[in-house]
Amino acid sequence: MNCEEINLWLDTLLAEIEEIEVTRKSERRVRVDVPASSLPALLELLKGKASYVHLSAISCVDWPDDEEFELVYHCWSYEAKSLLSAHTRIPRNSAQEFAHYVSVYDIYKPAAFFERDIYEMYGIYFESSPYMEKFILTEWNGPPPMRKDFDAEQYVNDTFNWADYHPQWLQELEEDGGGIAVRPEDIRL
Amino acid sequence: MKKIKYEDIGSILNPLKNLQFFARKPVTEPLGPRPAAEIYRGFHLNDMEKCIGCSTCQKICDNAAITMVKVPHLKNDPVNGIRNLRPAIDYGRCCWCALCVDICPVGAIELSREYVHTCNGDEVDSYFMLPQEKGMHGTVEEKGWTKTETNDLLDRHRQKMGEMAPEERVDNFDEIVDGFTPEQAVLEASRCVQCGMCHDSCPTHMHAPEYIRAIWKGNVEEAVEWMYETNPFSHVCGRVCTHRCETACSLNQTGLPQGSEPIAIRWLKRYAMDAVPHERIKEIAASKKSATRTGKKIAIIGAGPAGLTAAFDLIKQGHEVQVFEALAKAGGMTRYGIPYYRLPDDILERDVDVILSMGVKIQYNTRIGKDIAMEQLHKDYDAVILAIGLQSGRSTRIPGSDHKDVHSAVELLRKIGSVRDDIKAEKDPGFEIPRSAVVIGGGNVAMDIGRSLARYQKQQYGEVNMTITAIDAMENFPADDVEIKESLEEGITIIPSRGPQEVMLENGRVKGLRTWKVISVFDDDGRFAPQYDESDEQLFEAEMVIEAIGQMAETDLLGEELTEQLEWQRGRIKVTEDGATSVDWLWSAGDCVNGPDVVHAVADGHRVAESINEALSVER
Amino acid sequence: MRPENYQLVALPNSDEYELFIGPNHPGIEGNYAFKLKLDGDRVISGKADAGYLHRGFEKLMEGRLWIQNLAIVPRICVPDPVPMEVVYSLTVEDIEKMEVPLRGQWIRVMQLELSRIASHLFTFGGHAATTGMYTPSYWGVADRDLALDLFEELTGGRVYHIYNIPGGVRRDIPNGFLDRLSDYLDYLETRQNDYDNLLFTNQVFVKRARNVGVINQEQALEWGVTGPNLRATGLAFDVRRDDPYLIYNELDFEIPTQTAGDCLARILVRRDELFQSVRILRQIIKHLPSVKGPVRAPIPNPLAWNVSMGESYCRVESSKGELAYYTVSDGGPKPYRVHVRGASSMHAVQVLENMAVGQRIEDIAQIMFSLDACPPEVDR
Repeated sequence: MNCEEINLWLDTLLAEIEEIEVTRKSERRVRVDVPASSLPALLELLKGKASYVHLSAISCVDWPDDEEFELVYHCWSYEAKSLLSAHTRIPRNSAQEFAHYVSVYDIYKPAAFFERDIYEMYGIYFESSPYMEKFILTEWNGPPPMRKDFDAEQYVNDTFNWADYHPQWLQELEEDGGGIAVRPEDIRL
Repeated sequence: MKKIKYEDIGSILNPLKNLQFFARKPVTEPLGPRPAAEIYRGFHLNDMEKCIGCSTCQKICDNAAITMVKVPHLKNDPVNGIRNLRPAIDYGRCCWCALCVDICPVGAIELSREYVHTCNGDEVDSYFMLPQEKGMHGTVEEKGWTKTETNDLLDRHRQKMGEMAPEERVDNFDEIVDGFTPEQAVLEASRCVQCGMCHDSCPTHMHAPEYIRAIWKGNVEEAVEWMYETNPFSHVCGRVCTHRCETACSLNQTGLPQGSEPIAIRWLKRYAMDAVPHERIKEIAASKKSATRTGKKIAIIGAGPAGLTAAFDLIKQGHEVQVFEALAKAGGMTRYGIPYYRLPDDILERDVDVILSMGVKIQYNTRIGKDIAMEQLHKDYDAVILAIGLQSGRSTRIPGSDHKDVHSAVELLRKIGSVRDDIKAEKDPGFEIPRSAVVIGGGNVAMDIGRSLARYQKQQYGEVNMTITAIDAMENFPADDVEIKESLEEGITIIPSRGPQEVMLENGRVKGLRTWKVISVFDDDGRFAPQYDESDEQLFEAEMVIEAIGQMAETDLLGEELTEQLEWQRGRIKVTEDGATSVDWLWSAGDCVNGPDVVHAVADGHRVAESINEALSVER
Repeated sequence: MRPENYQLVALPNSDEYELFIGPNHPGIEGNYAFKLKLDGDRVISGKADAGYLHRGFEKLMEGRLWIQNLAIVPRICVPDPVPMEVVYSLTVEDIEKMEVPLRGQWIRVMQLELSRIASHLFTFGGHAATTGMYTPSYWGVADRDLALDLFEELTGGRVYHIYNIPGGVRRDIPNGFLDRLSDYLDYLETRQNDYDNLLFTNQVFVKRARNVGVINQEQALEWGVTGPNLRATGLAFDVRRDDPYLIYNELDFEIPTQTAGDCLARILVRRDELFQSVRILRQIIKHLPSVKGPVRAPIPNPLAWNVSMGESYCRVESSKGELAYYTVSDGGPKPYRVHVRGASSMHAVQVLENMAVGQRIEDIAQIMFSLDACPPEVDR
């Protein structure tokens, strides 16, 4: 199959899945919005029947106002030379308990890394993913830090001290009535 | 390229070929620090004289490495856009990205090619330093990464505002500029670096950075809320303010190859005020009104910007306010001095209406000293504010200047303003329009009268025959540059450096103005003492001569007794910083104290209101 | 992991034992650890352990203005920082629908290729060192340093260039830069023989690298292997050609491949790629002077720049493989989300864990270097 055939095939394939929304953003970029329940089936079809064998990444976006997490599966077809990003949304839970979703590890092996990453950073538990354990943040016991409600800057300010320099030139300025006027933390945009 | 086959097992002797290296010249590097590349990003340099202390570098710094430090011996003059703050860099945090260089509005901060600094363990303070022109060790000769046109990150140019072409506008009094569209306003507001020079330089300290930011965010109501914190004449100031803020603006820079125009702060204010519905503005203004009433009564003489601002503040604080206005409408000089093409009456009306809606009462057509005596006010009220402005024009007192066709500019403008009030007729100002006229003076008032009369000339006679002449050289004209530019566009002749000598009369009518060439205006001590070249005489033929060389207050309303009681200074009533006169129930504010300027009058109104509020609170 | 948190592993069989390589070990590329379970010299299983370099870049980026992030993205991969800057800028440009002026695009490609050379030279040295050959590592670092000199001249920074900006590049190239770049390429070509003799056709090295860390194409695709490591299994795929960005489709270059999929094949692909980059740079040197115009498109005041609402997934071919950023903007002055997908997040974790099984202990370091795994791409 050449690129065009695959793309044609993809379009008919996608038409079979319910509640799916397809946007062709450019020649090589397709955006698909799909309900969480249909996503594994979509990926199965993509990999099995439409040559999208490479899972480039799984990205997670936190939308606290919608009380949802957005999961984006970026799949690449070496044959169609096209990248399909499948967007889906799952309910978001409070930071104390995990959100839940299914793993796609049995379809795409690279998913294991991304799922573990999202598990650590966002607190989404992927059922049947092989490594639902800590990896990067082994020493961290706080809330999943990539969630929007975790304020990293606040945490740093609460935990660490700013260096307090007092060199000679500053002391001299202070004697003349000058000195520190605006600290950087006061004007962060 | 030589191919290597994967199958090729290689030779164990191949590495030995590199024994030839023994025959090659060895690579040696000197021990000292290697000279860095031309645009190296090393330690900072800062031209202390050029730096304006705007702290934009601090805002862009992504590592929060910059602290602004006050350096007392440097110039601190926000009105001219300079603060005595300078950036100090924490080299524990700096990552040498040079974004501070790229964004600096003036190009003062730069990076050097110096990259070595070390110290003993107990000297870590030396990593926090105040960059100077010569770098952190005082030894830098060569600059590294500097600002060029390419890496400048600021948007230097204003959004172009639509305006009427000269030929379209010269025969009518329609407002000249269109105002920003919402898109333009957001783009213009986005140029702001939030340095706050505008706030510091504004006489009434408007929260310009805040309202510009609000406009950028698309929240015009928030912008108006910020404006009403400090200025109940925001409609007026959005159109005719002398905008010191724009002079002080960090982006108002000369000497950069790419040029740099200040943010159009005045037009942004105008945009936000026009974008919010009038009723909503009233609500915003009323939201700050105190619920309790103090029972104190204050009389204000003059319904101009100073008087009405004081009234606005005092009524907010819960006092009762009565304003007395000699003329038929409120607004003072903004109504009777500023022509319609710069400030339409209905716009002024909106500002006045907001103030009236707060509960301020104005008694029109009431001249204090004639209709009501000053003494009466003293009896009936707890405090009195004198905000009478500068209503009479100064005269040159040259021979012939007492002729009936020699007028003062303010008097003519008042006539034009009054007539427009009543009949809204564009054609008839209520006096005969001269076919030709000459205006003496180079300020905004001279331009106002010149351009107003030019419009009537165009309407009635089809052509403009108007000359503005002043003693100053062109570059020293007190008028705004844009006023001069627009006057010229409208066909007015401007002749600088001429000293008026005599109004020439012929058969009892004005024939023209005789002038001499000015050699110098001031003497060596800086006193006003013009020197003329008498051989260079020029006659400007005109049917009318208008003097626009300054204004005076009319203080006869005070009465003899009070005049004697008050302390005076150079013909003006002497007041404290808060506007209190030497008489304990009388305050004075506005142009009659400061000279002509709307925004100053507003600032003054606030100051006086605050002072009265304090004084009355103490009594209580 | 802190020592107090180490847990002793109870091993049922007496000749099995556990060994930690890293996080501070010359056989590990960067601050990274690899825990091995061994039976004698044979690896039974391996477990990657990251987190020693985690600086929370993705979180940091959400708290900084769009343009402030320029200073931190190159820090995600030290040996090959340019693709990080470029791909971040590409996503922003894609969301904003911004056109990069042609000259800016050519300069970007020039940096990308120079950075690829510098990175590959580094890997040659590292790979050789893991087999006990230290001369190539000195050479690699020294020759890479000459590329860094060029970067210093071009961008003002040796290691972190911070030179790309949404819209293009920050400054035009300095006078005479292309001549010096050309001299460097000449020099690299004269060095080819030296490297070949010392490393690529050195029997000592070839025998060590052959048939070690083998992965076939099917496995590679299954495990998400990309870049030179994928090409070493015979699949001629390169983002530059197959999903072109910037002006790569105007350039003439080959995609070197090998089929064996072992350490030797991988380093040979890199060797060939380095000289393809030289070839690309030669074309750029020839073309760039005729590409006139600005080097960057104007952007709004960075302090008040609301990037339009939208999302973009952009990828480039870095020296390590497929590098992608997923950037989301909610229309605000700061990114809403930036997801960094480094090639090494596959190579250094799952691929390495799989490859290690059945290998001998002395080859583990070599395998990791031959994959050119870059731990900061995992940790971010």
